[in-house]
Amino acid sequence: MIGILKSMATTMKHALDGNTFTVEYPETTPDVSPRFRGVHKFSQERCIWCRQCENVCPNDTIQIVTDDQRQGEQYNLHIGQCIYCRLCEEVCPVDAILLTQNFEFTADTKHDFVYNKEQLKAVPWYKDIDPLESREPDRGAWIGEGEGEVDYQ
Amino acid sequence: MLAPLQNGDTYLFPERIADLTGLSEYGTAGDLVAAFIAAFIVGNLMLAMTGVAGPWAKRKITAAFTDRIAVNRIGPFGLLIIVADAVRLLSKENIIPENADRPAYDLAPIVVAGSAMLGFAVIPMGSGVQLADPEVGLAYVFAVSGIASIGLVMAGYASANKYSLLGGLRAVAQNVAYEIPLVVTGMSVVIFAGSLQMSTIVEAQAEPLLTVAGVAIPSWYALINPFAFVLFIMANLAEVGRNPFDIPEAPTEIVAGYQTEYSSVYFVLIYLGEFLHIFLGGALIATIFLGGPAGPVLPGIVWFIIKIWAVFLLTQWFRSAVPRVRIDQLIEIGWKGMLVLAFANFVLTAIIVGLIA
Amino acid sequence: MSTELERAVTETVTEEELEALIGDRALARDDHKNAPGFVVRPDDVQDVLLDLREEAGFDHLSCVTAQQYEDRYESIYHLKKYADPTQEVSVVVPTSVDDPVSQTAEPVFRSADWAEREAFDLVGIDYEGHPDPRRILLPETWQGHPLSLDYDQEKPQIVTLTEHANPIQPDHRDEESDTMFLNIGPHHPATHGVLHVKTVLDGETVADVDPDIGYLHRSEEQMCQQGTYRHQIMPYPDRWDYVSAGILNEWAYARTAEDLADLEVPEYAQVIRTMSAELSRIASHMLALGTFALDVYGDFTAIFQYTFRDREIVQDILEDLTGQRLMFNYFRLGGVAWDLPEPREEFFAKVRDFLDDLPAKVAEYNDLVTSNEIFQIRCVDTGILEPEVAKQYGCTGPVARGSGIDYDLRRDDPYGYYPNLEWNVVTEDGCDNYSRVLVRMQEVEESAKIIEQCIDLLEEWPEDERNIQSNVPRTLKPDADTETYRAVEAAKGELGIYIRSDGTDKPGRFKIRSPSFHNLSALEEMTKGEYIPDLVASLGSLDIVLGEVDR
Repeated sequence: MIGILKSMATTMKHALDGNTFTVEYPETTPDVSPRFRGVHKFSQERCIWCRQCENVCPNDTIQIVTDDQRQGEQYNLHIGQCIYCRLCEEVCPVDAILLTQNFEFTADTKHDFVYNKEQLKAVPWYKDIDPLESREPDRGAWIGEGEGEVDYQ
Repeated sequence: MLAPLQNGDTYLFPERIADLTGLSEYGTAGDLVAAFIAAFIVGNLMLAMTGVAGPWAKRKITAAFTDRIAVNRIGPFGLLIIVADAVRLLSKENIIPENADRPAYDLAPIVVAGSAMLGFAVIPMGSGVQLADPEVGLAYVFAVSGIASIGLVMAGYASANKYSLLGGLRAVAQNVAYEIPLVVTGMSVVIFAGSLQMSTIVEAQAEPLLTVAGVAIPSWYALINPFAFVLFIMANLAEVGRNPFDIPEAPTEIVAGYQTEYSSVYFVLIYLGEFLHIFLGGALIATIFLGGPAGPVLPGIVWFIIKIWAVFLLTQWFRSAVPRVRIDQLIEIGWKGMLVLAFANFVLTAIIVGLIA
Repeated sequence: MSTELERAVTETVTEEELEALIGDRALARDDHKNAPGFVVRPDDVQDVLLDLREEAGFDHLSCVTAQQYEDRYESIYHLKKYADPTQEVSVVVPTSVDDPVSQTAEPVFRSADWAEREAFDLVGIDYEGHPDPRRILLPETWQGHPLSLDYDQEKPQIVTLTEHANPIQPDHRDEESDTMFLNIGPHHPATHGVLHVKTVLDGETVADVDPDIGYLHRSEEQMCQQGTYRHQIMPYPDRWDYVSAGILNEWAYARTAEDLADLEVPEYAQVIRTMSAELSRIASHMLALGTFALDVYGDFTAIFQYTFRDREIVQDILEDLTGQRLMFNYFRLGGVAWDLPEPREEFFAKVRDFLDDLPAKVAEYNDLVTSNEIFQIRCVDTGILEPEVAKQYGCTGPVARGSGIDYDLRRDDPYGYYPNLEWNVVTEDGCDNYSRVLVRMQEVEESAKIIEQCIDLLEEWPEDERNIQSNVPRTLKPDADTETYRAVEAAKGELGIYIRSDGTDKPGRFKIRSPSFHNLSALEEMTKGEYIPDLVASLGSLDIVLGEVDR
C-alpha cells in the first residue's frame, strides 16, 4: 500500500509543479545543434564535379549529369530518399554540398522531394544560422581564401 | 415517472418546474411535460459534464500528471476542442463489422449510456434538483447501473471480434465480482441512515458530528466510517472499469476490449456512457458518503458538482500512477478480499449501530 | 552440473584439445580470424556440437551463418562460452550445391531453431530433422532464397496470403475445454512495432504462442553486402535497433571491420566511443522502461512520459555530439567522425548536469515503478526464464542478466575503453519480468558511472593528442576469404557481425547476429500457461525492437 501511495504522491508532485517538458512547436522552435544534419544545400559555384558524393552515397540519392567535357549540367538530390548520413559533405573536397540544420520541409508527393541544383541552392538556413562556423572553428583557414567571393546565399 | 411514491415534504424538481411554468394547471399531462423538461435539464447537465470531462478535462489532467501541455489551441484553455472533437467524431464513418450481431450491436451503446443516465433520476443534487425520490432510491441506483454489464457483454459479443469477446467476458466477470461488495458496503450506510431513500440519507448526514472551535463537522459517513468509504471507492473503480481495474478495456492487452469495433456515433455513446458511469459513481459517493450537496457558502448544486468532479479527478490520478492488475488477480481481490471486507464492515456496522440504538 | 563439465566451462580449452575432441570428424581446418574453425560433415553436426557443449563447455551457440559459394553451401556455427566469450570455435558445415541438406543443430541448441529457419529462408539450406522447417522472415509463399547466388534480384513477387488456422486445435479440443486462436498483431498496441504473435488461448490462459516475424525485414544484410567497407555500411547499423541504440550497433560493425582489416583505433577515440555508446545505452534503457510501464499500466501514463523526458536530454547530448538524434552515423572505421563539440566546457557541463540529475530521477522511478505493490504483483514471478533455458535459446543482454547469467561482453570480451574503467555487471536472480526491469534500471546507473569516468578522462586529455581517427586507407580491400565474427554488448544483448571478405571493397557475406531475434525466440518458454497480460508484459520485458529482429 505504501508503494502505491508513493507512486501517487510522485505523479501528484509532477502535476502540481506545473512544469512542462513539451513545447508548442511552431511558436517555440527548438534549438538545433550546429552539427545537425538537415536538408542539403548545394553551391554550383564551388562544385568541381568530381562525383565523389555521388559515389559515396549509400543509397544512390545523388545524381550528377555532366557533359562530355566533364562540365556539370545537373545535380539532382532526392531528399525524400536521403538517409542524412552526411557522407557527401564529408567527402566533398570543396564544401560544395553541405547539410543545413533545416529539418522543416514538406511536400505533397514524394516526387516533390527531388531537388535540382537550383532548388538545392535555395534551401534556407534554419533560423538564418550558417552552422559551418560553429562546426569547425578553424574551417575558414583553408576555405574561403583563394577565389574570394563564393557564397552559399 | 419512475418514482412510485413521493415523500410529502420534498419538493421535487419536476413539481418545481410545473409550478414555475404554470404547467401544473394542466393536470397529469402538465405534470408529465414538466417531468420531461426536468429530466431533460438534468440529463443535459450530466451530458455536458461528461462532454467537458471526456475530450477536454481528461486530456488536461493527464497532461498535468505527465508534464505536458495538452489541448490549448482552440478557444480559451482549448475548451472549444470539445466542439471540434464532437464534430470530428460524429462526422466519421460508422463502420459496422460484417458479422456483427445486429441489433444487439446497435443497442449496446444505448444500454451502456442509458443505464447511467437512469441512475441520475434519484440523486439529490442540491438546490432542489432531484427528479424523483423513491423510498428504494439507493437500491434503484444499484439496479440501473448494473444494467451496464449487459450492455458491455452485448457489445463484446455482438462485435464478432475476439478481442471484444474477451473484453465483454472480462467486464462481466469484473462487474459480478465487484457489484456485491459495492452493494454490501452501500448497505452499511443504509444501516446508519435507516432508509434507502436518498433524501433521508443526505439529511441524516447533515447533523453535526462534533464541533471543533465553533466549526461544526457534519456527520458525513465518510468521516463516521472511513473504512466503508475506501472500500466503496475501490469497488466503484472496478465497477466503472478504471485503473487499476480497467481490464475490460486494457488497451495494451486486448486492444480496446468490448469497444474495439465501435466507431463514430456508437463510439461516442460508449465513451460517454463510461464517463457517465464515472460521474454516477461520483454522485453516489457524494450522496451516501460526502453529505450530498451539503457544503458552506456555495449553493448545493455547486458543491455536488465539485464533489463528483473530485471523484473523477481521483480516477484520473489512479490512472496516472497505478498499474492494471491481472484478470485473475482482479477476481481474487474481488471475491477473496473485497467481499470479505465488505461483509465484515457490514456486520460490524450492524453491531455498532445496534449497540448505540 | 558435473565437476568435469564445470572444469570445462571455466578453463581454457586449447586448440589441441579441440582437435583431439573433434578428432576424425574434422575434415579440415577453416580458421576464422576470431576462432579456430573445424569443417565437419553435414551428418556429424549434432554429434560434434554436443561434444563441444558437453566436453568442452561451449554452451552458447551465438550465431548460425549460412552462405553460398560457387561450389558449395556453408553453415557456420559460431560457438562461445557464457563463462568466457573470448573462447570461441566455429563449426563449418559445407553442403553440396545440388542437394543442400545439413543436419539440424536444434536438439543440441534451441537457438538453432530460429537461426536455421533464417538460414533456410534467406540462403536455402535444408536442415534435416528440424522440427519446424518454415520460412521465418519472408512470407510462407515467397519463391526462392534471396541470398543464394542464383536468385533473381530484379524479379518482383506478389505474395499471397495463407489463412491462419488454429494450429493446436485438434489436440486441444475436448468436451471440457476449447481453445481460441487469436492474432496479436501485427497491429496491436503492445507489440512494439510490427510483430505478429499467433496465440492460442484457453480462456484467458495462453496455450501456445508462435511469434511471426519479418514484417520489418529490409534486407539489411544484403544492403551491407552492397556497400563499401569504408563509408557506405556505417549508416545502416543505426537502422537495426533504431530506438536510440544506434551507436552501440555502429560499434558492432566498427569492431568487426576493424578486426577484419587490422585497423587501430586511437585511445582518445576509444574514450569518446565508450562515452557515446553508454549514452546510447541509457537512452535505450529509458525507452525500455517506459514502454514496459506502458504495457503494464495501460494508457500513456506518467512513467512513459517521464522516461521520454529523460531520454530527450540524452538525445540532445548525442545530437550535439553526432549531429543527429537517432541515426547517428558517428563512428568511422578507425575512430569517430567528430571530435567533441566546441566549446568543450559547455558540452562537459551539459553531460555532467545530466549525470548529476540522474540519481534523483532513478530514485523517482523506484518510487513510481518498482516499489509499487501492484507493479510487483504483476511482474514478480511472471514470465519466468530459467538460466539454463535462456542459455539454450542464446539469450543475452539484460534478459540473460535478469536470469542470473553473469555475461556482459563489455567485461568478458573487452573492447573500447571498458577494461580501464570502474563499473559492475548487474545481474538479478529472479528470472522474471521484475528482474529484467531492475537490471535495466541498475545498468543505467552503471552506464552513468562509465560516462562520468570518460568525461573526466576527456577533460584532462592533452590537446595535441586528440586524435579521433587513425590513418585508414580510402578504399579498404581486406584479403579474400578472411572471415571474422565479432560481437559487442549492444543495448539488447550480444550484437554480432560476421563478415567474409571476397577481395573487393564490399563484403562477400555480411551476417548480423541480432540479440532481439534470439531473445524473442524464448518468448514461448516464458509465456506458455500464463495469462494474456503476462504475455504482453513478458514481451515488453524482452525489450525487442522489430527493426533488429527482422533486419
